[in-house]
Amino acid sequence: MEKKITLILQNEEDTINLGRLVAKYVYPNLVITLTGDLGAGKTTFVKGLALGLNIKEKVLSPTFNILKCYFNKPLNLYHIDAYRLEDANKDIGLEEFIDGDGVCAIEWPMYIDEYIPTNRLEINLTHLNNNKREALISSNIDKLNDLFEALKG
Amino acid sequence: MYDLILDSSNSELLIAIAKDNNIIDRIEYEAWQRQSELMTFELDKLLKRNNIDKKDIDSILLPIGPGSYTGIRISLTIAKIFAYALNIKIYPFSSLQILKTIKKPSICLINARSGRSYIGVYDDENIILKDTILKNEEVIEYINNHPDYDVCGDLKYLNLNGKTNDKVLNMLTLKQYIKPLDSFHIKPVYLKD
Repeated sequence: MEKKITLILQNEEDTINLGRLVAKYVYPNLVITLTGDLGAGKTTFVKGLALGLNIKEKVLSPTFNILKCYFNKPLNLYHIDAYRLEDANKDIGLEEFIDGDGVCAIEWPMYIDEYIPTNRLEINLTHLNNNKREALISSNIDKLNDLFEALKG
Repeated sequence: MYDLILDSSNSELLIAIAKDNNIIDRIEYEAWQRQSELMTFELDKLLKRNNIDKKDIDSILLPIGPGSYTGIRISLTIAKIFAYALNIKIYPFSSLQILKTIKKPSICLINARSGRSYIGVYDDENIILKDTILKNEEVIEYINNHPDYDVCGDLKYLNLNGKTNDKVLNMLTLKQYIKPLDSFHIKPVYLKD
């Protein structure tokens, strides 16, 4: 069943904490798509996700690299930024990470949509003013029901 | 003179040395995403512990795909540089054919992700179905239609028990049917282009 929730994030710390909270419910193979304008907080969310997964390495935007891997126990984190893949050759092996052994966070997913399963956790971030953001979170994955319960609370 | 066998086309790292079709020594373990940092180190180790000089290698055997996009190119790059430097030939194999059972028709499978599989069907050196990519439903149907064939490979992703065969032995047995090439004439096989 489709689940949907809208949250107001007052500042960067709220975005980080959203990432930390989501980290408690992720599992191998889960894809999180992140949409929103430049500066909306997509990479900031992934920073929080990494913190929640106990990854010590600093998370930086993979806009240039396209993919960054954070090898970590018990769960690897793969961070993709598809921004530079618009109108480019997309056949570069990303499916090994999208359908892989870790959780995969994808910024600008519309440019590699054919590689992303329809079962995904979608997070759309909108810049409201100064520090404030709106997060629209939705998914049709039943396994994530508990996450949505937690987000309500 | 020795055969050098390399494979990082999937999740495994495999290096072996053979002489006159007998395996002398091998290193083989799971190294998903780590093959690039480990392979040259392990290769050096294997040669040293068998007192084999690089110059005593006269052919390289390796699978060139399909498989992991990055993995295929790791062992192939190492093989090409060796072959160029030593002026020797490379025997390129299908990553699928080397999974087969000897003397039995075999459906060989590798996870291609996104609900698809790489599939090749072989009866020793004979090709029954040329390497291709199919949806997993089509693969299951093919398996069900051929109950007398072995199903080979790591098939946990299909919830099946695939048969695991010795890739090194397969390469040594099939070598006589493979045309060796120099390092400038070998291309990786991705099947997704």
